[in-house]
Amino acid sequence: MNSNIWLLSFADSVAIATTLILAALGALFTERAGVLNLGIEGMLLTSAITSFLVADSTGSVWAGLLLGIILGAVLAAIHALLTVVLRANQIVSGLALVIFGTGLANFLGKPAEGKTIKTTIEPMSFGPLSDIPGIGPVVFGQDIITYVALAIAVLASWFLFRTRAGLEVRATGDDPATVDAQGLSVATIRIRYTLLGGALVGFGGAFHMLGQSAAWHLEATTNGVGWIALSLVVFAGWRPIRLIFGAILFGFTLQLPFTLQAEQITFIPSALMPMLPYLATLIALIALSRPSSRNILGAPKALGIPFVRDER
Amino acid sequence: MPAPFRIVFEQRAETPKYLSALVPLISVLAALVAGALFLTATGYSAMDTYKNMLDDGFLTYRGITETLGLSTVLICTGIAAAFSFQMNLYNIGGEGQLYLGMIGAAWAGLALGPHLPSFVMIPLVLIIGSLAGALWIFVPAFVRARLGTSEIVTTLLLTYVASSLLKHFINTPNSFFRAKNVAFPQGRNVADSAALSPIGDTRLYPTFFVVVALALFLYWLVKKTEFGYRIQVIADSPRAAHYAGVNANKTTIAVMLMSGALAGLGGATLIVGPFARLDQGITLLGYGYAGIVVAALARNNFAGIIVSGILFAGLRVGGEKLQISTDTPKHIGVMMQGAILLFALGGEAFRRYKIRAVRMKAVAQ
Repeated sequence: MNSNIWLLSFADSVAIATTLILAALGALFTERAGVLNLGIEGMLLTSAITSFLVADSTGSVWAGLLLGIILGAVLAAIHALLTVVLRANQIVSGLALVIFGTGLANFLGKPAEGKTIKTTIEPMSFGPLSDIPGIGPVVFGQDIITYVALAIAVLASWFLFRTRAGLEVRATGDDPATVDAQGLSVATIRIRYTLLGGALVGFGGAFHMLGQSAAWHLEATTNGVGWIALSLVVFAGWRPIRLIFGAILFGFTLQLPFTLQAEQITFIPSALMPMLPYLATLIALIALSRPSSRNILGAPKALGIPFVRDER
Repeated sequence: MPAPFRIVFEQRAETPKYLSALVPLISVLAALVAGALFLTATGYSAMDTYKNMLDDGFLTYRGITETLGLSTVLICTGIAAAFSFQMNLYNIGGEGQLYLGMIGAAWAGLALGPHLPSFVMIPLVLIIGSLAGALWIFVPAFVRARLGTSEIVTTLLLTYVASSLLKHFINTPNSFFRAKNVAFPQGRNVADSAALSPIGDTRLYPTFFVVVALALFLYWLVKKTEFGYRIQVIADSPRAAHYAGVNANKTTIAVMLMSGALAGLGGATLIVGPFARLDQGITLLGYGYAGIVVAALARNNFAGIIVSGILFAGLRVGGEKLQISTDTPKHIGVMMQGAILLFALGGEAFRRYKIRAVRMKAVAQ
C-alpha cells in the first residue's frame, strides 16, 4: 500500500469537501428557515460558469468569486419570490430552478467549452508546516477558501445555536406561527436566509470552478454535487459542525474509486463505489426517522410548508 | 418609514374558468418574451431562434413526429410525477425509477427475447420495466407509510444509486448487459422480438399511443372512481380520511408504487423504442426530472400532461436543432423549459388568489 497515494487522496477529498460544505451550508440556512430549495445543482452550475467567464475576462479570481456569489443569490431570489411571496410549491420551484440554471449555465458556457482557465486559486503555503510528512499537505496544504469554508461552518453553528437571531431562524423553520405571534415577519426572515443560502451556494459553485475544475466541461462540471449537498444536510441533521465531518466523509467516498484504482484494489467494483455515500445517507435517514430517534435528526418541522397567516 | 401599501392575498373561493385557461397561456407567453429579451441581450436573434425552434419542433413533418416520439417518455414520467404529487407525495426520483425500468426491460429483452414471439415480448418488456420501477420505489414507499421518512430525500438518493447501477451493468467486463467485442463499453442490443419498429420513416413509435391512452385512463380513474376519490380525501385532509376509515398507509404505498411503475414504464418505452439497449447516455438527458416539470405545468392534470409533455418535447427537439440552423446555443431549449415553469408558478398565484394592494391604514395590524 502506497501511503503517499492515500495522503494525496485525502487532501483531494478535503478539496471536494469544500464545495460540499459551502453548498450544503447554503441549503442548511435556507432549510433552517423552513424553505426547501432543491435548485442547488442549477445554482452551482450557473455560479460556476459566471465565475469562470468573469475570472477569464478580468484575470481576477476574486472578481469571479464575487460574481458567482451574486448569481447564486439572484437565483435564490427567484425561488424566494415564487415560494415565499407568491406561495408556489417549493419542490416544483426548486426543480424548475435546476432546469433553468442548467440551461442558462450551458448557454452562457458555450463559448468557453473545453477552455481552461489561466488564473486559479492556489493552495496556501504555511512554509515548513506544509512540509510536515503525513498531516502537512492535508492540514496546511489547502487553499484559503477551504479554511474560509470551515470558519463559516463554525460561525454558522455559533450563530444558529448561540444567538437570538439564530434562534429566530430555527423557530421560523420549526414553528412559524409562533414567530408570527411574536410580531416578527416570517416572510422577511425566510427571504433573508434563502438569499444568504443562495450566496453560499454561489460561493461553492465559484470555488468549485476556480479552485478545482479549472476547465469548463459541458454538462459535467458539477456532476451532481448540488444533489449530494442536499443529502448531506439531511445526513448532518441540519447541524453545521456535523456537516463538516459529513462533507469530508462524502468527499472521501467520492474520490475513493480513483484511489482504489490507483492501488489496484478491486474487491468492490469501481462503478458501484459512488453509490456508497447515498446508501449510507439513506440508511441513516431511515434509522433516524423511527419515532424514538426523530429528535436526533432534527429536521425543521415546517420545512417546505408555506406560511399563510390568513388561513389559520 | 413603513410602506404606504401592503400586498394582500385573498384566497378565491372559486377560480373563474377563463383564468384557469388564461394563466398558463400568459405564463408561456411571458416566458417567451423574457427569453427573447435574454437572447437579444446576449447578442442572438430572437426571431431566428424562435422561428427555427417552432419549425424544427412542431411545424415540419420530421419535427412534429420526432417531438411526439420524444413526448412518449416525457408523458410517462409526467404522469408518474403527477400520480404521487396529487396526493402530496413527492416522488422526485422518477429519474432513478426510469433507469431501473430500462434495466428491467433490457434484461427481459435480452434474456427472454430470443425465446418468445414479438406479440408476447413487447407487453412483457413493458410490464417488467414497470415492475422494476415499482421495485425501486418500494423502500421509500414503505418507510414513508410506516415511519414517515421524507420520500423527497429517499427517492432522490436512490436515483444516484440507480445511476451507479446502470453504469456498473454497462462498464463491468463480462456484464450480461454489455455488448461483446466492442472496444468502448456499451449495452447489448435486445432481441428483435423485443424491439418495435418506428412508424414509417419517422422516429415515432406505437408506444406513444399506448402512453396517451394510459394518461386518459388515469384521468378517468382519478376523476371518476372510488380509488381516485380516496386519493383526493387523503390529499385534502389526512385526518378526515383516517376517521372515515380510509387506510392512508395502504393508499400511500399503492400510489407510490404506481408512480414508480409509470416512471419505469417510461424507461421500458425507450428499450422497445429508440434505445433498444442500455445506454448510459440516458443519465445526461434528465427525462425523469423533466417529468416533474411536465406534471407541474399541467397542474397534475393527466389529460393536460399530454399537452405539456408534447410542448416540452417540442422545445427540446427544436432546441437540439438550433445549433445546425442558427448559431444560438441549443441550451436555450432547456432554459426555456425552466423559465416557462417559473412563470407558470408565479402565474399560479394569480389564479388562486386575488392579489390587491391596499393602503396601510386600512389593514388592522
